Amino acid sequence: METQHASDSETAAVLNHEPIVPSREMAAYEALWTRRKTSFKTLAECFRTHPNTMPSELVSPQEIEQALSAVMEKISRASIGEFGVRLHGSVDYPARLRDAANPVELLYYRGWWDLIDAPKRIAVVGSRGVSEDGARRTRRLVRLLVEAGYTIVSGLAKGVDTVAHTTAIACGGKTIAVIGTPITEAYPPENRQLQEEIAEHYLLISQVPICRYAEQDYRSNRLFFPERNVTMSAISQATVIVEASDTSGTLAQARAALQQGRKLFILDSCFQNPDLSWPRHFEAQGAIRVSSIDDIQAALE
Amino acid sequence: MNRRVLAIDALALPDHHYLDGDDTCYYAGEYTAGEGHAYSDTNQLILNLKKSVDRRGRPEWRYKELAISQAAAILRGALKERARLTLVPVPPSKARTDPEYDDRMLRLLQQVSAGRPYDVRELVVQVNSTPAAHLAERRPTPDELVANYRLDERLAEPAPDTIFIVDDVLTTGCHYKAVKQVLQRRFPDATIRGLFVARRVPKSAFDAFDVLE
Repeated sequence: METQHASDSETAAVLNHEPIVPSREMAAYEALWTRRKTSFKTLAECFRTHPNTMPSELVSPQEIEQALSAVMEKISRASIGEFGVRLHGSVDYPARLRDAANPVELLYYRGWWDLIDAPKRIAVVGSRGVSEDGARRTRRLVRLLVEAGYTIVSGLAKGVDTVAHTTAIACGGKTIAVIGTPITEAYPPENRQLQEEIAEHYLLISQVPICRYAEQDYRSNRLFFPERNVTMSAISQATVIVEASDTSGTLAQARAALQQGRKLFILDSCFQNPDLSWPRHFEAQGAIRVSSIDDIQAALE
Repeated sequence: MNRRVLAIDALALPDHHYLDGDDTCYYAGEYTAGEGHAYSDTNQLILNLKKSVDRRGRPEWRYKELAISQAAAILRGALKERARLTLVPVPPSKARTDPEYDDRMLRLLQQVSAGRPYDVRELVVQVNSTPAAHLAERRPTPDELVANYRLDERLAEPAPDTIFIVDDVLTTGCHYKAVKQVLQRRFPDATIRGLFVARRVPKSAFDAFDVLE
């Protein structure tokens, strides 16, 4: 596929900045990620040192050309029809993503982008190995949040995330999935159907580079999961943790929420478990212990 | 912060039926509103811009005025302050004498060019009012639009060099193509581009546009 190069002298004479060619920036982002040492941290540092720079200004035209055919091939092999990208520096890039410690420069999305600005957005997250009580609490919480007009943001993982998305949909609510795989993959595989449903009727977001993910093994790829929790927190006004162990990946989101100045709610039931130290640890840093949706609404409204 | 405009690239091209690889079109945002929701700033901006003129005088009308100023500020931010260019609005679908005549694009361009050397010219005018698209049996083709367009010869001199055809939303590209054709015929040496506040992604619900286009 060819990209259009709009960099002729006439354009330069009338526009303040080179226009963004989204497919080119997508390819450049993928190309940056094929460099072995690249991480969200190194990328964020790079763009901090070079403000107002687009990914395409940091890689060669040959690298862009190569990455573009590689990424388009993977997207078409995954049978993805409609998708889009959001780029820092354009009008539709959500400014609140800059609250993250290492803000992302590019996001892939599928579905209804409009939901990104739903007026009330709350992330509901927790363990993959959720207890029966935890699942019941998640269902009840999500139902009440949907009734109160909240859009439910979660990570499409097993356990609490899955219950959060499916309950939101079943209650006629809206939901946003921020996934830890590229848009071309689904994890866990049994959630593929749910991912498609969210991409079709709601909003699916991923910051994970498609080519890099395909090239490295699962041990490296699992590092993308906590990174997406940071983004999930940044797009939401608040995060609720339903259930989590002391080593759970969910706690990455707890740290991010507090660091980004977002409200962090922890269900009271987490404090009842004498084996857990994290609830008190985060409470001491500003998290709010809640036992009903009224507590959440009182803190947010 | 002056944010960058985006270019219609090979990925976006299929979303705009009448455009081809020879068209250079820029846009600031994407119109992505769904059935029953329009939350994003771009979606709100477009809906307010397109607010029907029969709302004039109502309290909500100020949102339209505000949207014109916001859209003007976005385009102003993208354009070089001292650029030499001619801005041509896509003509409204209703004639000046029609009660539904909406001059939002012209007013938007006047704000874009305030205090700057841009040359705003209504070079292409529509001869007859066209029925609202939702009442028509089908949408017109660019050639059918051209038949109803006329170049205003009184404004043709001096011949422009760089022309931006400006509209609020790029949908099929039909109006852009028709205006471009009329301009190209008269000014074969001019460079002609499109500049839009937003492009509509196909998934979005656009009932409001069917009524207003």
